[in-house]
Amino acid sequence: MHHRLLLRRRGAMPLPSPPQPAPRTPGVAGGRLFASLPSPPPLQSRREVHVWYLCPDELNDHSQLDMYKELLSPSERKNALAMNGPRLQKDAMLSRALLRTTLSRYTDAKIDPRSFEFKKNKFGKPEILWQSDGSSMEWPLHFNISHTSSLIACGIAMDTLIGIDVEEKKRKTVKNILSLARRYFTPSEVDYLAKISDSDAQQKEFIKLWTLKEAYVKALGRGFSGAPFNRFSNQLETNNRIQISKAAKVCNDSDSGCDYLSENWRFALAGLNSSYYMAVCIEDNSRGSENGSVPLGLKVWKTIPFIEDTLVSGTDAVKLIT
Amino acid sequence: MAHSLAAAASFSPPAARRRPPSQVTNAISSRGLVSFNSQRMSFVSIRSRPSQLRFKICCSAKKETVDKVCMIVKSQLALPDGTTVTGESKFSELGADSLDTVEIVMGLEEEFNITVDETSAQDIATVQDAANLIEKLVLEKAA
Repeated sequence: MHHRLLLRRRGAMPLPSPPQPAPRTPGVAGGRLFASLPSPPPLQSRREVHVWYLCPDELNDHSQLDMYKELLSPSERKNALAMNGPRLQKDAMLSRALLRTTLSRYTDAKIDPRSFEFKKNKFGKPEILWQSDGSSMEWPLHFNISHTSSLIACGIAMDTLIGIDVEEKKRKTVKNILSLARRYFTPSEVDYLAKISDSDAQQKEFIKLWTLKEAYVKALGRGFSGAPFNRFSNQLETNNRIQISKAAKVCNDSDSGCDYLSENWRFALAGLNSSYYMAVCIEDNSRGSENGSVPLGLKVWKTIPFIEDTLVSGTDAVKLIT
Repeated sequence: MAHSLAAAASFSPPAARRRPPSQVTNAISSRGLVSFNSQRMSFVSIRSRPSQLRFKICCSAKKETVDKVCMIVKSQLALPDGTTVTGESKFSELGADSLDTVEIVMGLEEEFNITVDETSAQDIATVQDAANLIEKLVLEKAA
């Protein structure tokens, strides 16, 4: 499903001139520019996650990049420029542009991408800051961003905590896989990896586990120390469900550090474009017999904001592993 | 994927946590043992009754330690030749993601024969922070 937004082909016609700076007030209607960010199908439920990603290496048109830069707040621009080198600077800028444009889509284009403001929770996890003066609308949107050097993804969920992690399948670690696992993973996960004799397969399983654990920690939003990797296990069960459980012997009831490592989390793991693994994690507080039996609904789009969006889930580009 | 080592993540640590590397906090108890590193007056070690008076030390690590950290970081991140990495370099700005971060921490643990717990690792924003923590841990181990 393609949206040909602006009905222009790249290279054939000049892009629209960058938008005039808009007041940075959340809730103020953005007007005409944001008609070019079509509203996606809404998030149907708390169990649905939408992921929008872009590939920085494909975005090299200067006027396009300038247009994205205009969306950033002054401090975001400053942070992007502080990165080491033009490539990292571009990625940092695109990451913020992706976030802002994605969020805007879920407000029926009522909120200008430039208008969003952000705050950090006490552990440093970014969240949307809605003005509390009663004048603006609010949407219960939660987001999380993940970077690899070749892809930046933004996950969106409604009314529930979300974490996302993307990694290249072939990512080579400097350290030996089992050493890393022994240092950071649980004993059961180390055993699982140790039984894999083929080193490529072992490396892939490591990356899968890594992205799952990362997605959980990011959803939890307490930072790496808030949920040390060796205190919880992600098990790929035979029926392809991912179960998260506290690592035995590491987490006893008396250990208050593990209190919030709850098991009310839902995961999805997918292969993306045959080059990446993507793990998504959301909190799931539903109770009852359906808990765990209804999979997390995942929709994925590749985007070039304001230019083109392509739904890739439901095609070969997204292969659900769980 | 990025997190940990403070701002190596999609979020960076609260600003209040950053400590200027040159700050030295001295506290002496009546039963203190004080030792000095003659090189740059960089290290004051204090031992007092563990259960009560325990003071946090923030001070500049030796240049040698900082250099070793820079070397480990450069090799982990495969930074292009000529990339400057100094004590002030922030891990997040060097493009370290979370997997890089844990590998760097493991590299530091191996090099200095220490164990870095996750809470301490999370406070590290710069190379200098890492070097300071390493020296603190080395000292605690030796004591």
